[in-house]
Amino acid sequence: MPSLELIDIRKAFGATPVLDGVSLAMEAKEFIAFLGPSGSGKSTLLRIIAGLETADSGEVRLEGERIDTLPPGRRGVAMVFQHYALYPHMSVRENMAFGLRNAKVPADEIARRVEQAAKVLEIEHQLDRKPAQMSGGQRQRVAIGRAIVKQPKLFLLDEPLSNLDAALRMRTRIELAQLRQRVDAAVIMVTHDQAEAMTLADRMVVMNERRIQQVGAPMDVYRRPANAFVARFVGSPAMTLAPATLVGDGDYARVRLGDGSEVATRVPRAGLPEGPLELGLRPEHVRVGDGDNATVDLVERLGERTLVYARLADGRAITAEDNGDSRVRIGDKVGLVIDGAAAHLFGPDGAGYHAEEPRA
Amino acid sequence: MNPRARLSPAALVAVTIGAAIMLAPLLWTILLSLKANSELMRDTASAFSGPYTLENYRAILVGSSVTHWLLNSLIVSLGTTAGVLILCSLAGYGFARLDFPFRRSLFVFVLLGLAIPEQAVILPRHQLFAWLHLHNSYPGLILPGLVAPFGVFFMTQYFRAIPVELDEAAMLDGASRFTLFWKVLLPLTRPAQATLGVFTFLGSWNDYWWPLISATRSARFTLTVGLASAQMNYAQTSGLGFLMAQAVFASLPILIVYIIFQKQIVAAMAGAAVR
Repeated sequence: MPSLELIDIRKAFGATPVLDGVSLAMEAKEFIAFLGPSGSGKSTLLRIIAGLETADSGEVRLEGERIDTLPPGRRGVAMVFQHYALYPHMSVRENMAFGLRNAKVPADEIARRVEQAAKVLEIEHQLDRKPAQMSGGQRQRVAIGRAIVKQPKLFLLDEPLSNLDAALRMRTRIELAQLRQRVDAAVIMVTHDQAEAMTLADRMVVMNERRIQQVGAPMDVYRRPANAFVARFVGSPAMTLAPATLVGDGDYARVRLGDGSEVATRVPRAGLPEGPLELGLRPEHVRVGDGDNATVDLVERLGERTLVYARLADGRAITAEDNGDSRVRIGDKVGLVIDGAAAHLFGPDGAGYHAEEPRA
Repeated sequence: MNPRARLSPAALVAVTIGAAIMLAPLLWTILLSLKANSELMRDTASAFSGPYTLENYRAILVGSSVTHWLLNSLIVSLGTTAGVLILCSLAGYGFARLDFPFRRSLFVFVLLGLAIPEQAVILPRHQLFAWLHLHNSYPGLILPGLVAPFGVFFMTQYFRAIPVELDEAAMLDGASRFTLFWKVLLPLTRPAQATLGVFTFLGSWNDYWWPLISATRSARFTLTVGLASAQMNYAQTSGLGFLMAQAVFASLPILIVYIIFQKQIVAAMAGAAVR
């Protein structure tokens, strides 16, 4: 049985539509990340699942039971808020126990669950502190603890790492991944940070302009983006997209770029639409080699590799990768070698066409 | 480590002088209250030397109506304060958090109340209360004080400053609207409650005009009206010590209020934020 099912969810704020028929089915205990830019509707979708917003139409089902007609507290979901939303006047213990008290859980059971969660989250010595006496990372743990003790069927995490500094974010990300192994529930995390989504989630739901653009395992989404938006949004730095025209014939598409160079792809020619195409290239599939077909605009040295932002003869920007000890400098003329076998094509409507997977 | 900043000597001197100026009338009142009336009739400078006596205070406790007026003042002030806090908290929560028709217009309507001086309504109010037979009664003294547009405004702003995420977290924690109000939001407004409560209490305690109009019988006098009535018949010359003892006695509750709520008053004045 699917854990969570969203069936044709629609929502508008006044005359502004926010969600335009969103459907999704989650497997049991699955970790799903809603990834998308601001205004893509991902937070609204999370709030509809939580019961903090009401959908205009559609259904939300959790383990088979329709929950969108229930109040938030009776849906079997727990949420970790972006700004933690801890009750400032209550101790950590009271914060964690509040939901259980409202649910009339017996006092000894409350105490047991709070102690247990505090132990898992390593905050057992801080149970009598107030949130104001704790650091950001500790408050984050309390917020997670408050969700855990409720033993929900579904955890909702609203940008859980966005309030932490870089070092703490890395650590918390690892902790979330570990925690996830211990809790017996499905998890939905909203984020605009693709690194979070890719490292934590079983599947990513990429959203843009009120709709789901693609659902899939992180690496599948990375390797085979459904459309030009996903291609640009997932992956850092973004995929280079360059206008291209189909030339020659053969089983696989061969395209000509604006500077006149040609790229032989492994994208099957059959099935490609009529009209202008775009060639999609990940930086790792464009290497710096001998020649002078591009001019370097910017060099980003990341240690183990170097990103080279260059410009082709027709002025088209392209991102390439070089070794960590690259000697390329701004203004240099370089030869860029494109790995056509890994290139993607995008049709006039943005739909993606990918290289045939090599047969095993 | 001492978190309090040390004052420079010059500032210390300035603050001490300021405090002395503030305290002088109070000390003078206390000194006068401890002297026999007959001695003060000859020369008030005798207050600077003994013998001192508690006779004036004894006279208050046994002979005069001051204790009775004090009780009236306490009933009226505490009743007004409790009423204002309850009404303003509920109204503030409603205006800040609930969605209902004409919310904005009603809020503006409440704020318009700030612009209406008491003098403008005192006659119709007097007539209304006479018609309702509320004069010379506790409700008659308390009810006008419950109209507190500033309190509604103050509490509304305070509730608005509390992040809505807390409401949402409580809703997900299964809290009913009442639990949310009572256990989550209301405790967070404690500094505001203390400020509003203290100012309402003091305002009501010091109110003179309405009790003077409404309470015409000595049994319903509040302390302010009672003390003023006792000042007739050359009280200031023939019974100065007794008068001063009454003044000291009357200010005790206010002192107690300040001492208890000092922390909240300072916090509210400093604009301590809820976060």
